[in-house]
Amino acid sequence: MVLFAAFCDLLGYFTKNPRLYEVGWWNLTFATVSIFIAIIFGQVEAGLAEPYAASVSTLNIHTVLGWSLSGILAIVTAWRYVIRLQEKPELPIPYLAVSVLLVGLVLVQSYLGSMLVWVYGLHTVPVVDAIKGGLS
Amino acid sequence: MNPDLLNQWDSLGVNGLPYEIPIHPNLVHLTLGLFIVAIAFDIVGALFPVEKAIFKFLAIPATRSALFDVGWYNLLASAIITFFTVMAGFFEAALAVPVTDATSAWGLHALETIILHGVAGVLILGLIVGMTVWRGFQRFHWRKDMARQVQWSYLAAGLLVFALMFVQGTLGAHLGAEFGVHVTADQMLQLGESPNQL
Repeated sequence: MVLFAAFCDLLGYFTKNPRLYEVGWWNLTFATVSIFIAIIFGQVEAGLAEPYAASVSTLNIHTVLGWSLSGILAIVTAWRYVIRLQEKPELPIPYLAVSVLLVGLVLVQSYLGSMLVWVYGLHTVPVVDAIKGGLS
Repeated sequence: MNPDLLNQWDSLGVNGLPYEIPIHPNLVHLTLGLFIVAIAFDIVGALFPVEKAIFKFLAIPATRSALFDVGWYNLLASAIITFFTVMAGFFEAALAVPVTDATSAWGLHALETIILHGVAGVLILGLIVGMTVWRGFQRFHWRKDMARQVQWSYLAAGLLVFALMFVQGTLGAHLGAEFGVHVTADQMLQLGESPNQL
């Protein structure tokens, strides 16, 4: 949702289409609400994971970045809320720059989350069995 | 896929892919997120008269047409991205070496799960594209000048697709989490290695 919000904002900026700004704003707002749901599930599942040694540092960074993103996302959305109230004809460049940075963080976070599942296999049956069997 | 046949590709990793992380499960999040937001905002747009007071209370200015814009653009993006989701899915399914002796929580074996997931994937792609065409007709022709841009039947169809996506997503999750498809650690355990070597 952050990715699509930034995509719409940039497209809106370059095509001078304010309608796309609205699409960007709503997607961003939805993302800000959703991230807290994601964090709750993330915390529950991380708490149950019993990660083995090799996966611990990735899980830690994913946790810290996840919580940080909730704060950053809330601030960016608040900024966007103010810009939207001002009804400017186009988005300020610093805001667009921060959006691009935010997209970068989201991509890093997705990569870390993918590592946890697809490389380290946390919560996959063979790994859970191995952990029960003494893998730590 | 037959592991002997996969030997013809000599640069595959332990996870059975020529890269570290499967692409399909990542693209799927875009398909789902965009589609769900699209239908959700069309529902919010359709019920707008009821919500006016809430938006006012929250001091968030909202116009009905902007909510329907989200419904349209998100759906369009979902339709486009899903072609790539399905493409990546078939590529990675072709390289899959699932755990053969397992049964999923739904009582299915790996092959059944892969085939069902593939068939349903194409079906859902068709439904998303069909819904996009339907949505386009409502937006640009049939309901162009109406305050409520979507039919109730369209919203109901969207919720039905949510249900299908839930089933499809669970099948896909079984492939990763129960059959270890393209999960590096699971494939290492199959080979008798410890994932702590990662």
